[in-house]
Amino acid sequence: MDHFREPVKADCEELLGRFQATESVRYEQFVQIWKDMDFSSIFHGKPELNERRRFARLILSVVSPYFLPPYTFQIRVGGLYLLYGLFNTQLATPREKIRIALKDWNDVTQFQKDAVNAQHYDVVYVFRKLLSDKAFYFTAMPTPLNFRIKREDGKRRKICEEFVDPPSRPQELVTTDVLEEIANIHEHYEGLKKATFTEPDPNLDIVQQNLVPKLNSTILTYCNWQINHTKSEQQDAGEGPSNQEASKSRRHRQTELVSEAAPDISQKVSSKKKRFPSLKTRTQLRFKTQGKSCPPR
Amino acid sequence: MAKCSTLMSEQKQHENVPVYEFMDVNSKEFHVGTFRDLWLDVLNPEVYSYSDTASEIEDVGFIEEMGIEPKTLEELKSICRLRKRRQDYKETLTRDTVDRHEVYANEMEMISVGKKPDNLRDLIPEGEIILTFNIMYPILFQRFKHVRAYQTLQVLGSQKLSDLRDAICCVSDLQVFGEFSNNPDMVPQFISKDHYKSAFFFFNGTFFNDTRFPECQDISTTTQEWARTRDFPEFKTAKMEDTSFYDLKMKVGFPYLYTHQGDCEHVVILTDVRLVHRDDCLDIKLYPLITHKHRVVTRKCSVCHLYISRWITTNDAFAPTEPCLFCDQCFRMFHYDDEGNKLGDFLAYAYVDPGTFN
Repeated sequence: MDHFREPVKADCEELLGRFQATESVRYEQFVQIWKDMDFSSIFHGKPELNERRRFARLILSVVSPYFLPPYTFQIRVGGLYLLYGLFNTQLATPREKIRIALKDWNDVTQFQKDAVNAQHYDVVYVFRKLLSDKAFYFTAMPTPLNFRIKREDGKRRKICEEFVDPPSRPQELVTTDVLEEIANIHEHYEGLKKATFTEPDPNLDIVQQNLVPKLNSTILTYCNWQINHTKSEQQDAGEGPSNQEASKSRRHRQTELVSEAAPDISQKVSSKKKRFPSLKTRTQLRFKTQGKSCPPR
Repeated sequence: MAKCSTLMSEQKQHENVPVYEFMDVNSKEFHVGTFRDLWLDVLNPEVYSYSDTASEIEDVGFIEEMGIEPKTLEELKSICRLRKRRQDYKETLTRDTVDRHEVYANEMEMISVGKKPDNLRDLIPEGEIILTFNIMYPILFQRFKHVRAYQTLQVLGSQKLSDLRDAICCVSDLQVFGEFSNNPDMVPQFISKDHYKSAFFFFNGTFFNDTRFPECQDISTTTQEWARTRDFPEFKTAKMEDTSFYDLKMKVGFPYLYTHQGDCEHVVILTDVRLVHRDDCLDIKLYPLITHKHRVVTRKCSVCHLYISRWITTNDAFAPTEPCLFCDQCFRMFHYDDEGNKLGDFLAYAYVDPGTFN
């Protein structure tokens, strides 16, 4: 059954990739893609109940990581919808459950809070429906472990780069809080120096005077470089349809200094432009029919 | 002082969240009872209860919590409904033969899945922990090293280690000692299981001994004394029948040891720890529950190839192989005349087939 792992992962990434290209987190979009790919037929073709059960277990364990960090919010929503679809269309009875480990539960609750705050009702509804259908096993570890040492060949743990936010280590290191603290300490330091020495001695100027502004500008430059770099690599198609829901979903993320949501969206669009958009996508882009299917507030 | 203790308890909680020690191989050590408490703290009891909340109550809760209109909820429901597609070509999908492992697994599943007890007192309480152990058969044959034969047992967190010990089926428990070529009718009725009652589990530096019967000795003392002469840390001992699984600190996916009969050693791996679910077998009397057992082929008599062998002979001039298996009837016909006198020179032992547990 393990030999199915690679193809199943490829299929799921295909579906999630298409979902990412829609730039939305709406369930209707997901269902379109699902029906398009006829995804529920992934379970067909197995006559034995045992095999159906094992396959259902395999595919649920392959998809579960997409529901958790470090994937982006949109991919996580896609993962949730995918789990919902797979859980309900599986052919094993009684149904195979989705495993959640204790260490990941905090991320799950945080995700739900974010969805509530951003008023993504369909996300919240789907999650609660899964909870009330008792679709989860609350476990110690994400998969049953059997002390298999030999198995690894690196492919299993590979994370699709396009589903993850681009590396933002400098931004994470130098946040507004950190800058404030450094500025405070700097002030204190200067104050102490002045208090101890009446005459400012040039030999004591060890620290750069404008440390904080310099840091700030460096980080901003880096950010802009990142954006321009990815933009120039792909064909630039502009911002794409500015979907209200999508921009709200970016709101909660801690993009420290780069607080605008716009650069992030354009980044996503430009990085996805590698894949030639389907006729459907192009039509929708042209006529801007997206955004109509959100539930009224 | 109060602050210090809350800090310590927070740290204790943090330590008991299971994480990987080696990725996809095994986890770090954690206390099972605390792990359960951690889960029960963060979950709404409805989420792990066996019964369903009525959908109207859920709807009302959702509407109030999200501050939306009932109309919106109806719209959500209609959008998020999934329809099942019927499988095409179902009639032409057939398998010619189903192998015996599948048949066996199907039978095992039918016994236990979704079983609810008749008596409500036997219902497993909600929020109980189920631990899944894989117990390997001791490897005896060179030829069969490619397939790892094991049985899977599920136990409840509140059960004792001795319950697990009693549920493990090993063929070495049934061996009968003695050479009976001269008196084939006097095979004694007692088996090794009754003779040698000592056993121990070894988890994370502690030997858990079975001390229920007066015949049980502490067979771990040999290992402990040996370890003391080398550079090993000190090992502890405890009683098997006093320890429940909630008291243990375990690593998931890490191999441990179970020894009985003095030297019959089994590798034991804890593969899974989780909260009990509505669809599990909920009858407490059925636990420890066997969910998977590797089916060994039963060895038939060398003569008739029909009956299961009960005797094994060595040094036998009549037999084609050394040693040789016989069923009871063939054995007597072959080696004894009508009056029951022994013919020829041979040694005969009682044979218990490894496939007896099928």
